[in-house]
Amino acid sequence: MVDKKPGKKKTASVPPDVSAGLKMQRDTFVHTFFKKGAEFTEELLRENERLRKHAIELESDNARLRAQLASDEAIRELLRTVDQLEKEKQTLLSHVHEAEANSSRYSSRHQEMEEELSNLANLYIASYQLHSTLRLGTVVKHLRELLAQLVGARSHAYYVASPERTELVPIASDGVSLSQLSRVIVGAQSDPSGRRGAARIVERVFLTGVPHITEPGAHGAVDEPVACVPMRMDDDVIGVIVVFSLLEQKQHFVQVDYEFFKMLGAHAATALMGALLFANAEGKLPSLEALHNLGT
Amino acid sequence: MSAEYSCLVVEDSPMMRQLLVFALSRVKNLRVTEADDGVDGLRKLAGGRFDIILTDINMPIMDGLKLVKRVRTDPVHKDTPVIVITTEGSVEDRKRALELGANAYITKPIQAPQVIAKVKELLKIVP
Repeated sequence: MVDKKPGKKKTASVPPDVSAGLKMQRDTFVHTFFKKGAEFTEELLRENERLRKHAIELESDNARLRAQLASDEAIRELLRTVDQLEKEKQTLLSHVHEAEANSSRYSSRHQEMEEELSNLANLYIASYQLHSTLRLGTVVKHLRELLAQLVGARSHAYYVASPERTELVPIASDGVSLSQLSRVIVGAQSDPSGRRGAARIVERVFLTGVPHITEPGAHGAVDEPVACVPMRMDDDVIGVIVVFSLLEQKQHFVQVDYEFFKMLGAHAATALMGALLFANAEGKLPSLEALHNLGT
Repeated sequence: MSAEYSCLVVEDSPMMRQLLVFALSRVKNLRVTEADDGVDGLRKLAGGRFDIILTDINMPIMDGLKLVKRVRTDPVHKDTPVIVITTEGSVEDRKRALELGANAYITKPIQAPQVIAKVKELLKIVP
């Protein structure tokens, strides 16, 4: 008979060395499994960390780009303002330049007016001095001074016509001795000294009443005067002022010199003749009767 | 109120004096006193205080060079600017005047703008 008890199986026994091998295999597997798991976990953590950093960087970039966009807008606004300010600056600069040009014009005009005023004052002083005296010597002294100080004449002389108007006699000079100057015979081809050039010019000016003034830069000589100016009294030429040479620093005549010559031509003769008449009258003033007759 | 300056013009020729006085009348706040020659100039200097002196060189009685010399020994005016007026040929006079203490010179024929500029420069008046 066979004993068959339900639920009870007969198990085969495993040899101990196999069991140990299996156990070792299992341990190795478990160890390897956990090691791999740990490595994987670490890898995951590292990856996670890297991704987290990357995310932060991206967020930072994003923020920066957002700020950049805002900043660009602000810059555009600023650039618009700069443009506007630049235009305003240009307008202001243009006004400044205009004001500077005006200022320069006014300054230049002011200078011109000062010079004009100075010239007029010189002319006034010259005529005032000429008529400030009836003493012949003083009139001549003033004439000499005027030519030297106002015109800058180095050497000059005054010729007065004889009553018959046949000759011109030098009565005073500066910078050239009177003995160097001879009478100019009117109508003669040359004067006795042989200085034909100067004599001819003096004679021509006396006869025509037209001044002779040379080109700028000329410094002349006794033979070749730089200026001859007729001295007129009413319509008559009664003498000639002759400028032989100019001072070193006086390179040429200027506008006021021509005005000065014109004034001298008109005033020197009356001043000289008045002084001559006064000298002839021995310094006596006219009687009151003579002055009364002026009104009739 | 602007400062007032005083100027002494020493010149024997009435015409030159008149020209100088006119020129100086164009400088604001400048009071001008005239003297006929060096001696008269010294008299005027003794009677007041001047900020600038203009003097001709060739004058009777006392010339401009002697005047400059005297001015430089005057305790009141020893530092006062002096302008001498010379003629073109008197280079030696000019040199001597500067050696004696003159501050500047003006050559004849004088021009008002030149006189004004020199006086303003020495008085340090801003144009």
